[in-house]
Amino acid sequence: MAAIIETSGLTRSYGDICALKPLDLCVPEGEWLTVMGHSGSGKSTLLNLLGGLDRPSGGSIHVRGTDLATLSEDGLARFRRDCVGIIFQQHHLIPYLTALENVMMSQYFHSVPDEAEARHALERVGLGHRLKNRPGELSGGEQQRVCIARAIINSPRLLLGDEPTGNLDHKSTTMVMELLRELRDEERFSIVMVTHNQEVAAWGDRTIHMDDGCLVREERTKSC
Amino acid sequence: MLIRILKSSFLKRPKPVLLVLLSIVMGSAVATAFLGISGELSHKMALELRSYGANIVLEPAAGDAGALKSDDLPKIKTIFWKHNIVGFAPYLFGQVDFSSAAGRQRGVLAGTWFGRPLQVPGEPDSIQGVKVTAPWWELDGRWPETPDEAVIGAGLAKRLKLAPGSDIVATAAGKERRFRIVGVASTGGFEEEQLFAPLAEVQALLNKPGQLSRVLVSALTVPMDDFGRKDPSRMTREEYEKWYCTAYVTSVAKGVEEVMSGSRAKPIWQIASAEGALLKKLDSLMLLLTGIALFSAACAVSSSLMAAMAKRSPEIALMKTMGADRLQIAAIFLGETLVISVIGGLLGYLAGDRLAVVISRTVFDSTVTSPLWLFPTAIGAALVVALAGSAAPLKRALAIEPVRVLKG
Repeated sequence: MAAIIETSGLTRSYGDICALKPLDLCVPEGEWLTVMGHSGSGKSTLLNLLGGLDRPSGGSIHVRGTDLATLSEDGLARFRRDCVGIIFQQHHLIPYLTALENVMMSQYFHSVPDEAEARHALERVGLGHRLKNRPGELSGGEQQRVCIARAIINSPRLLLGDEPTGNLDHKSTTMVMELLRELRDEERFSIVMVTHNQEVAAWGDRTIHMDDGCLVREERTKSC
Repeated sequence: MLIRILKSSFLKRPKPVLLVLLSIVMGSAVATAFLGISGELSHKMALELRSYGANIVLEPAAGDAGALKSDDLPKIKTIFWKHNIVGFAPYLFGQVDFSSAAGRQRGVLAGTWFGRPLQVPGEPDSIQGVKVTAPWWELDGRWPETPDEAVIGAGLAKRLKLAPGSDIVATAAGKERRFRIVGVASTGGFEEEQLFAPLAEVQALLNKPGQLSRVLVSALTVPMDDFGRKDPSRMTREEYEKWYCTAYVTSVAKGVEEVMSGSRAKPIWQIASAEGALLKKLDSLMLLLTGIALFSAACAVSSSLMAAMAKRSPEIALMKTMGADRLQIAAIFLGETLVISVIGGLLGYLAGDRLAVVISRTVFDSTVTSPLWLFPTAIGAALVVALAGSAAPLKRALAIEPVRVLKG
């Protein structure tokens, strides 16, 4: 299977601090990769680099064949809107927009907002009845599902999750993970998800463990 | 979608939006009020400055040998710049012998109009004469009202020991004319050595019917600039038309000269220049104050937007994460700014218009109507204020790094 992500000797330093040591990583199309490690291990740094939110200090990083290190600021913005969907732990929804408008905003930056399509995306994540509600009127789990709808609305080939269930209770976590698996199975996009939670990690195909900026261990959680 | 974003942004963040709106309204209102009254202010100041005296003198082109004609005087109120003619006073001078109870003395008799009603067909009636062109004369007594009344200069009156109520006899070429002194004029100038009597009486005494030595004209003019100082005889046709249709003291003088046969009109430069310099400074002051008001408003807008931007940095970082490029981010924030500035400009114009009326009524005791061009100017001023004020906050917004803002 072709690789969606390929890094070679990828590093990221902040001054004298080396957050990510030379990393060689290959993620095949459609794979769900979980990244685990304690705080400061470099997992979020890796995720930011994969999402084009940060630039590497050294090495190369190719996503769907594009060398992200060579892209301009606006080129990285185009890459993010065309290829990547990102889900955060803190949801980060725009408070003064409704659930529907939050999803449509992602469409607006990508191409043309389509209300019917946005409504359909929210219905897919089980929020067809919460379209007009603002983030403050939604539970944590519901807000995270809006984030998932927003992340998948432009049909990205890569979904990045930075501890997306970190703020959710067990029931909501299970609901979100089931939803992600269902969507992944339908859309066949790849997922790279950072988590501390062993149970969450078990939903992926493969888990890599990081420590002090290095990949220290890798395990396959289930057969692809 | 942009409209939805802007609408929601306004409705859900009323405080920062109102703060920015208020800054723009204030800047636009002050600019509108200043610009609205600046025309009125210049006009009023120019009228006040006319109390300096006449700024154009007409003399016979042929020199002492020639004379101007009384019959031409009404034509002065028919020239292209007739509405700018505040007043004029004709003079006929002659050397005569004065005799009074104190003795005899040779001196200058001036025939003039003191305050003569003038009717010109098709033009509003007006009063012309020394009362209009020389309001700065200090008069002990009153102005003459009958043909045998006169005003005497303070110096001559002192020498001949004359006061209001005294009689004086003027003798020229064997003719005599008695005048009753009704006023003593202190001017600080050569007028203090002359006797001023009604023009027709002096013309008869000097045997110069219908003749004039000089006409002093007081006119509202605009400050001279480089173009106004050009020699009209060397101008192209277009330049000459532009010069003729601008109320320079030289072009008004030219207009008067054209209707007074055998005359040569000259600006009285010490007065015209002083007025011009003062009016120019007044215009500069108004523009400077307007500029300061707009700059202050822009600073207030910038500071309000900067504070709002700090609060909205997660929102901007999120937009960038979703793939918004710099143009899209700028479109959202400039879109907000433009909508606020158009509303602010409109409200600022209305408030400024009222403010101009209040200032005009309080300071000048007159009403002012804001010119139509002030409306687009107010909107333009609001846009300039808003865009200038949003430059720094926008730069900061575009520099936001999502990784740093959305961390955790």
